[in-house]
Amino acid sequence: MKRRNFLKACLIGGTTVALGKTNKGWASGSFEGYPEAMGVLVDTTRCVGCRSCEAACNKEQSLPEPDTSFDDKSVFEEPRRPTAKAYTVVNEYEKKSPGGPVYRKMQCNHCNEPACLTSCFVNAYTKTKEGAVIYNSKVCVGCRNCMIACPFNVPGYDYDSVTNPVIKKCILCYDTRLKVGKPPACVEICPQEALTFGHRADLIKLAHERIRANPDRYYDHVYGEKEVGGTSWLYLSRTEFDKIGFDTTLNNEPIISNVKDFLGMVPMVLSIWPALFSGIHLLSKHDTQQEHGHDTESTQEDR
Amino acid sequence: MKKMIQHGLAVVDSPYTESGEKRSVMNKLLLGLTPSQYLLQAFRNPFNWILAAIFAVGLPILIGRFFFGLSWATSGSCDYPWGLFLGFGLFAMVPLSSSGFQLGTACEIFGRHDLEPIERLALLNGLLGYFFAVVYLLVDLGQPWRLPYPMVVSFGPAAVLFLVAWHVATYLSVQVLEVSTSFFEWIGFPAGKQAVRRITLGLTVSGIILSTLHQGALGALFTYAPGKVHPLWYSSSFQWLHFFVSSLPGGLCMVITVSTIAAKTMTWRRDGRFQQSLDRITISLAKGACMGLATYITIKLIAIAHDNKWSYIDSGWGQWFLLEIILGFMLPLVLMTYGVHTRKMPVVRMGAFMTVFGVVLNRVNTAIITFNWKLPEREIPPWREVVISLTIFAIYIVVYRFILYRLPILYKWKMQEEVVPATEAVRAPAPGRRETNQVPVASYSGMTKLD
Amino acid sequence: MPSTKLLILGALAIGAISVTSPATATAVPDSITLNQNGKLYQPFSFDHAQHILLIKECSDCHHHTTGTLVLDPNCARCHQNSSPTAVVSCKGCHSSTPFSPETLAEKRAHKERFHQDKMGLKGAMHENCIGCHKKMGTGPAGCQDCHPRNAKGDAFYSADRKGAKPAHAKEH
Repeated sequence: MKRRNFLKACLIGGTTVALGKTNKGWASGSFEGYPEAMGVLVDTTRCVGCRSCEAACNKEQSLPEPDTSFDDKSVFEEPRRPTAKAYTVVNEYEKKSPGGPVYRKMQCNHCNEPACLTSCFVNAYTKTKEGAVIYNSKVCVGCRNCMIACPFNVPGYDYDSVTNPVIKKCILCYDTRLKVGKPPACVEICPQEALTFGHRADLIKLAHERIRANPDRYYDHVYGEKEVGGTSWLYLSRTEFDKIGFDTTLNNEPIISNVKDFLGMVPMVLSIWPALFSGIHLLSKHDTQQEHGHDTESTQEDR
Repeated sequence: MKKMIQHGLAVVDSPYTESGEKRSVMNKLLLGLTPSQYLLQAFRNPFNWILAAIFAVGLPILIGRFFFGLSWATSGSCDYPWGLFLGFGLFAMVPLSSSGFQLGTACEIFGRHDLEPIERLALLNGLLGYFFAVVYLLVDLGQPWRLPYPMVVSFGPAAVLFLVAWHVATYLSVQVLEVSTSFFEWIGFPAGKQAVRRITLGLTVSGIILSTLHQGALGALFTYAPGKVHPLWYSSSFQWLHFFVSSLPGGLCMVITVSTIAAKTMTWRRDGRFQQSLDRITISLAKGACMGLATYITIKLIAIAHDNKWSYIDSGWGQWFLLEIILGFMLPLVLMTYGVHTRKMPVVRMGAFMTVFGVVLNRVNTAIITFNWKLPEREIPPWREVVISLTIFAIYIVVYRFILYRLPILYKWKMQEEVVPATEAVRAPAPGRRETNQVPVASYSGMTKLD
Repeated sequence: MPSTKLLILGALAIGAISVTSPATATAVPDSITLNQNGKLYQPFSFDHAQHILLIKECSDCHHHTTGTLVLDPNCARCHQNSSPTAVVSCKGCHSSTPFSPETLAEKRAHKERFHQDKMGLKGAMHENCIGCHKKMGTGPAGCQDCHPRNAKGDAFYSADRKGAKPAHAKEH
């Protein structure tokens, strides 16, 4: 009866792998993103650090009131990260640069092949065809593996909640806006149009065009075009990206490609091990047939 | 307990008392003592006082975690989502519990029946380690009541954690069955034991598969965070192998450690078979651990060479890495090899302790200490998190001891047919001893220390 | 350039720009009320006459639509010979809804168009005003220097929250 259970376990494991290959086949290959996916191009050279996007996000997503008003510029003293209470934050870099400080908005980058999605064991995340990475809090167990996996340190966890703590992060205003074609609240409020909303594919062209037309204004790279398989949010910068808080060591391969070595090994173990070890057992049993007693009946104790 | 036995108390190792009566479950639970005797020996044991102190502080905090939330009990950090509960509790307990499948394989698959006296301890060590890893996990999960979700509600089959969840759950039930033979003997249900016995091979083989996969999978979890784990602790191709291979000596050395402690503190409980074979088995285990350590150190160095990470050695992190691999893996390898060759048991055991330390340090390093090495600030777990981790570990020790005291793990349960004549034989010299057994409780007050 | 001066510039809709004097094609208004439909900021009066005095060159703000013809060789390729257009006001070219599905669809339909990356009305105005004020080192550059915030705006920016520590900084 338990041997059947064991077979069942193998079977489940096997189907697991099979499912992994079929359902999410794209997750292990070269998924370029949905063709109609939307995105946002952030031109950090235009941002003036007004924090309006933070305010708009706070109201749109009904987040708790901030500790200090969105006019307060003292928040720039230390770098911040998105949390469960603020899905987007603006940080100040190059404070002493002659060209003036550079501001960078941070939020979920909505990867084409999100690490959070592939690391989630209850499949709480979905990459919608509009490009948003959304999250179903109803199935979240709270393992926080997505927070480990996110290369941009984005998801926040509602640690304060006792009965229903969930992951909280930017969802590109999917429910309230993106679904009906409207731009996210942060894009809409930005006075400087530092945020440009559009089809991701168009934005990439547009970004390169800006660099081409103003080579003095931009560093020649569109962050997010290729990083970790591409993200829906793209960035332009005056300086090298690592100077304004971006991780420039990320590979162009999606995070899941790091895990493939292991996932590829799983079916091998599932199929070879049973045969191998049962075989060895039969061999050793043949040798010591007389002595194949079990623990308590063993005659070996005096050896 | 030791003193009580000196005073003529018989150890429970068969379904019958010395007078040939069948023992009740309560009698077995109380180790054949009267309730007051049992309490007395418990109070006498200074270790119990330490445990009581830990529980007095820790249990309210542990319960508080479920009433005041994670932000009250832990650092609640977004940058370090996995704190001590998982970094230590899950990632360190699981590799130390690989003993179950290894000894199971050795005895049942490779026919190494000479290792059988310790097989049950290894199985129990595996079961409890896994069980308490899950306990740590339950404390850490935001919504622990949803733990079955990946099994029944929503599947994320592309996730490594999905494999871990399924494998740990399945393996835990496999281990419960493997250990259940001792329980069936103890409770007196031979049919159950026979049923489990019949499927031992299936259980053992599934144990190997599940262990290989999820010991590796725990490592593979970190391949999701290539930029966050320090390069010296990270390797895309080797990560799961590092975790799997280091779990092998980790589990074996944990058994050496536990058996050493049990042999020292539970002299009354172990039987002759266990006592006589312990050194011989320890040598065997140490030999196995040495092979594992040598392999681990090799692939660890290969991984560094493979990605050409030598330059990282020349940094603060590098020195910390050297400390880990030298103190936790290389030195134990030398000590155990030397100890095995010269049959110096203390040296072997020292090596085993250090290996356990090394494996724990490796996991804590990967999950917490060197995690997010690029961030300017390190996370220091707040005191409540430390206390809860300690408390759960103390519960682990208590449960471990509770089972070792009772179930036939360190000794052989005397079966009915052996026992009945045996009781007759034992009876003859017994009367004198049993008289002392009648001594009123108060007379024990002269004793200073029980085990 | 103190960053504290760069106050918030976001007004949700600067849809309507009305001209105080009757708008004929050629009349140049002295004063323009901007931000008439602003949700978070009050409308305010823009002193057009003063800017004409200071800048003199209309095309600095109005590009090729009026004043001297463009000199930028890149623009000149098309606009050197085009006569001043009938459209002079900002909103004539810069859409007040640059990211609406309709605008995006229209952009996609005309991929050959050179001005794919044309700013929206709000962005264009802020960029134009603040950009020049900063360059010249004179003129208002902070949000409320031009348009004071209304009560709704104060609520939107949680103006009454005066926490000791920076908002969201270093959670826990």
